[in-house]
Amino acid sequence: MPPRLRALRLAVSFLSVHHASPITPLVAPFLLPVQQRSASILSSLSDTPGAYQKRIRKGRGPSSGKGKTAGRGQKGQHAHGKVPAGFQGGQTPLSITQPPRGKNKHVPFKVEMSPINLDRIQSWIDQGRLNPERPITIRDLTRTRCLHGVKKDGVKLLSRNADQLKTAIKIIVSRASASAIAHVEALGGTVLTRFYTPEAIKRIRARQTHPTISLEADPEFLSRAVRSGQVESIVATRAAMSDTEAAEKIKQVCAEIAAKYKYRLPDATSRKDIEYYRDPAHRGYLSHTVKEGESPSLFFKLPGEAKDRNRQLARRKAVKASAENRLF
Amino acid sequence: MATPARWAVPLLIRNPVCSRTITTSTSAHASVSDITTSVSSHIPPLPPIDNPWVHATIHSFPSLEPLLFRKYPPWKLALPIRRDILHRAVVYEADNARQGTANTKWRSEVHGSAHKIRPQKGSGRARLGDKKSPMLRGGGVAFGPKPRDFGTDLPGKVYNLAWRTALSHRFRKGELIIVQGRIDVPGNSRMDYVEELFRTHGWGRGLGRSLLVTLGERPMLESLLDPRDGRKTTWTELDVRAVLGMGRVVIEERALSNLFKITRLDGRIGPSTKLDQEEDDDWEEGEQEQERWEG
Repeated sequence: MPPRLRALRLAVSFLSVHHASPITPLVAPFLLPVQQRSASILSSLSDTPGAYQKRIRKGRGPSSGKGKTAGRGQKGQHAHGKVPAGFQGGQTPLSITQPPRGKNKHVPFKVEMSPINLDRIQSWIDQGRLNPERPITIRDLTRTRCLHGVKKDGVKLLSRNADQLKTAIKIIVSRASASAIAHVEALGGTVLTRFYTPEAIKRIRARQTHPTISLEADPEFLSRAVRSGQVESIVATRAAMSDTEAAEKIKQVCAEIAAKYKYRLPDATSRKDIEYYRDPAHRGYLSHTVKEGESPSLFFKLPGEAKDRNRQLARRKAVKASAENRLF
Repeated sequence: MATPARWAVPLLIRNPVCSRTITTSTSAHASVSDITTSVSSHIPPLPPIDNPWVHATIHSFPSLEPLLFRKYPPWKLALPIRRDILHRAVVYEADNARQGTANTKWRSEVHGSAHKIRPQKGSGRARLGDKKSPMLRGGGVAFGPKPRDFGTDLPGKVYNLAWRTALSHRFRKGELIIVQGRIDVPGNSRMDYVEELFRTHGWGRGLGRSLLVTLGERPMLESLLDPRDGRKTTWTELDVRAVLGMGRVVIEERALSNLFKITRLDGRIGPSTKLDQEEDDDWEEGEQEQERWEG
C-alpha cells in the first residue's frame, strides 16, 4: 500500500483532535522587520583574486592589445608557421655551446640532504610538538612538520643558533655536523647517523618501514630503540653478548618488526657510505663493527688480518699435490 | 509538556510576514541591514586558540528538545571560513552536474549538397560555395555547441576541506541542527504532520526553507514534504551546494558522523572505514512520539 493512503486511513480517527501550537510569539512587535529575504552564502562566493586571469583573445581589435598581427610581429617564418624551439638556423645552438656547468649541472650522484637546525628542534619541543623523551626520527620530523618534506638522500643535523637548544634529545638522522653533535652531547643527548635510500625515506613516511632498525644495527642500540611492549626488550651490552647471541637477538627483533612492516630498512652497500657510517666521529650506526685499532676506512686492515699471499699459495700447492685422483 | 527550546536557532516569529507595511519610502522601521538574513547577519568569532573544541547541541526529534552537548574538534565544526575553497567546491559540483547535451549542426552536418550555387565570377554578386555556409540563411552554425563533458577535477583534500568548511560555517551561524534518532514521519500521523512541524519550528517557506538530511530512505517524509518548504536528502546524495543553499540544515547525528568519516582532511579512507548504517529496530513507537509532541 502506498504510504500516503496509509497515513490518510489511520488519520481518520485523529480528525477531531485539536492540538494547540506550543510556540508563542516571543518577539516584541516593534522588532518585526519590514521585509526579509533569506539569501545564502552561495550568492557571495568567489575565488581569491589571483585565481582570475584576463582572457587573451588574439586578433580581436586594437584595444585588446593583441589585435592585427596578434603578437607575431611582421612577416617571416614565425608569423606564417613555426620554427623548432632553440633552433638557430643550423648554427650550433646555445644549449650545446654553453651547457650548464658547475652547480647548475645536473649530477645524479650529488648527495642532497634537508638541513634541520637545533633552534628549530628546540622550538618544536617548546610547543609540545616533539617529545624529547622519545627518539626523534625522520618520520617524527616530517609528521610534526618540523621538516616540510625530505630531500632525496635524507636529513642532516646542523647547529644554527645552537645555544637555543636546552633539552637533551635522542636524534637519528642521515648525517650530523661535528658542531651539532658536540652541542647535543654536551646536554646529555645522543646523535646517531644511519643510512637511508630515497625509497626507504618514502616508505618510512608511509609507515611501511621501521625508521631506525635494520639488519646491521647495533644490539645495544636495539635495546634502547625498541619500544617496550611492541617488541620484547633486549637488555644486553656488547660485552655480555657473543657474536652469535647478538645475531640471534637481531634476527628475533627483525622478525617481529617484519611482522608489522611491509619493507625492510636497507643498509649501506656502497663503499663510501659504509666508510662514512663506520666512523665514530660521525656517530655512524656501523661504528660498532669497527674493531680495536681499526680505522673506519675499508682499505686498511689490521696487521693480523692481512692476507698472506705466500702462505695461501703454498697451502693450495700442498693440497693439489696430495690429491689422489689426479689426472694431470 | 515543556516548550521546545531551540538553542542553536535564532528566535523566529510565529506570525507570517504578510503583516509588513506596503510603503516603499524609508521609515523608522525599515533598515537596510534587515533586508536579507543569513548573509549579512553577524557571524560569531572562532573559538579561542587555547580551547578550540566546540560544543554542539544534539536535539531530539520532532520536539527539538535539547538532549546533550557533544564536543566536536575544530577540524570538523570550527574551521575558519574559506570562501575561495567553498567557491571551488561549488563550481566543481556544478560543472560535474552539467548534462552538456547542447548540440547544433555545423556546415558539414546540415542536410544539402556541396555543389557551388553560382559561378565564382561574372554574376556581380559575392562569391559563394555551397548553401550550407554559416553566412547564409538555413546554413550551419559557425562553431556552435556540441555535446561535451564539462566536468572538472578538484583535489580530494580540497574538496574534503570544503565539506567541513561548509558544515563549520552553518554551525557557527546556528543553522546546523543536529538531531538524534530518525527524521521521519511516524506511522499513524496526519496528512499535515510535516506541514505543522515546519510551521511550528519556523522551517518552511518565507523563513528560508530547510534541508533535512537523513541516514537512509524516508519515503513517507518525502511524500509529505512540500518542496516550497524544504528538501530531503540522504547523506550520500548530499553535496556542498545543498549544505549552503537553504536557510538551515537539519541533520541526523549519524549522518553527520558518516560525512565526517568520508571527508577526512588527510584523505585517508579505505575498506576499514566503518560507516553508520540504518537499523530498523532503533525507530521508536510512532504513537509515543506523537503524544509527546502534541501533549
